[in-house]
Amino acid sequence: MMYQIRQMWLALRGNFTAALATLTTMTLTLALLGAVSLLTLNLERTLSGLEKEVEVSAFLLESANDATLLKTVQALPQVASARIVTKGKALEQLGQDLPGILEPGSLEENPLPDSLRLTLKNPRDVQVVAAQLKALVGVESVEYGEGYVDQALSTLESVRFLGYGLVLLLLLNSLFNILSTVRVGMFARRVEIEVMRLLGARRGFIRAPYVLEGIVLGLLSSLITAALLYPAYFALTGQLRTLLPSLPLLEDRRVVLELLVGLVGLGVLVGGLGSWFAANRYLRELE
Amino acid sequence: MIQLRHVTLEYPGAAQAALDDINLHILKGEFVYLIGHSGAGKSSLMNLILKRETPSRGEVYLSGESLRKYRGGRVALHRRRIGMVFQDNLLLQNLSVFDNVAFALRVIGVPQREWAARVLSVLAQVGLESRQSALPRQLSLGEQQRVALARAVVSDPPLLLLDEPTGNLDPDTSGEIIRLVQSTNLRGTTVVFATHAREVVEQFRHRTLTLRRGKLVRDDPFGGYAL
Ligand SMILES: Nc1ncnc2c1ncn2[C@@H]1O[C@H](COP(=O)(O)OP(=O)(O)O)[C@@H](O)[C@H]1O
Ligand SMILES: [Mg+2]
Repeated sequence: MMYQIRQMWLALRGNFTAALATLTTMTLTLALLGAVSLLTLNLERTLSGLEKEVEVSAFLLESANDATLLKTVQALPQVASARIVTKGKALEQLGQDLPGILEPGSLEENPLPDSLRLTLKNPRDVQVVAAQLKALVGVESVEYGEGYVDQALSTLESVRFLGYGLVLLLLLNSLFNILSTVRVGMFARRVEIEVMRLLGARRGFIRAPYVLEGIVLGLLSSLITAALLYPAYFALTGQLRTLLPSLPLLEDRRVVLELLVGLVGLGVLVGGLGSWFAANRYLRELE
Repeated sequence: MIQLRHVTLEYPGAAQAALDDINLHILKGEFVYLIGHSGAGKSSLMNLILKRETPSRGEVYLSGESLRKYRGGRVALHRRRIGMVFQDNLLLQNLSVFDNVAFALRVIGVPQREWAARVLSVLAQVGLESRQSALPRQLSLGEQQRVALARAVVSDPPLLLLDEPTGNLDPDTSGEIIRLVQSTNLRGTTVVFATHAREVVEQFRHRTLTLRRGKLVRDDPFGGYAL
């Protein structure tokens, strides 16, 4: 084991530029992955807050049959719950929401219509349901947090898509970096490797220092990433909290730590598997 | 122990076969010289036995088993039963004499506590115990060949392949080396000794195989140098 570690150290030193390049790209990749994951987690928290509040309102004509409409709407598969808000209730609510606008008894007639208020099982169905409601007899108009929710949802989707797409590309890039680091390292020591093979060394024995090198590179870069990301993230959320206190930020240190531990695991995995694969391929080519 | 049946070896792109339809049987415990001019195919024959090369046609058997199907870990096991001195030594330039010899033990997984005694004992037998810390490039070619021999015998292999191991030695040192190889042979190791040193073959007589341009032209059980 000591021998393998010393060999790994020699391989790292003899091949310093390649190792450094690998370390840098892996660190950048993992840092980006960590940042995207944290951003997504936060956006999701904000959105799930929003989604719970998404309510579709269908304002009804005077002539509408409220009870029948309620039954029809409750039968829609996308609908989680539905209730009738009578114009009297609506007025009361308005009075509570905006006190001072209405003097009690200042209106001769209630100008508000009856309405149906729905919540959906999946907020993404909001447009479909709205269209269906509009088509019903007795419905005058339909309202929901148009634009607002749609946009937030599609922003989240595209951030996630772009972020993970970029991370995937960068992970592949890191992997190729490791592959070529190991290849260059093994090529530089090809005589020694050939002698080992001729003396009867097993593949695992020859491979070990290079796999170790990959694991160390992965571990190092993910530890650097974690050490940078953790304080940076909490500094940022601290700032945001004072600026926008209403944002439901992810500030649970345990969750963030778990994410970073996962990142370290991924770094080690990519480093180890990449170098294992590269070393194996090189040895196979010799046979 | 070693058997070759209709073995032909053609290197890719070579006009002529390096070995041409060789049939040969070497028994366990034998000491066999392999002689021939340079280019006759001596190293190629050794490389076939080590499975560094695979025959284009025919089969090489070791203890009755064909080497053709050996792959990966099986090749490694096969090579562990063979100690070989390569024509170009193949010492590791960045390791000391001691470490070069110990390397053979490390590679086959001998526990580290046994190394010192075994390495020093073979280094003494080749007369190099005082040079154990030197690097190969600080040694003469003859000394390097003796290190290579020490590395080949330190693991006590049942088969010893020596590819011109005395090529750079003066007659006196050659004699010592051959005596060492002979005593190893007397303890049961099968030896195949490639050389074109007439005095060696004449002085220490053993069965002698003669190669000429890839063909086995003579197999003399009583030895003697006749090219
Ligand atoms: N790796 C190789 N590739 C192509 N030709 C080779 C190779 N090794 C040896 N040869 C050729 O095979 C023939 C036999 O070579 P070799 O076995 O080294 O002979 P010897 O050891 O008797 O000097 C020679 O013609 C040599 O040029
Ligand atoms: Mg030769």
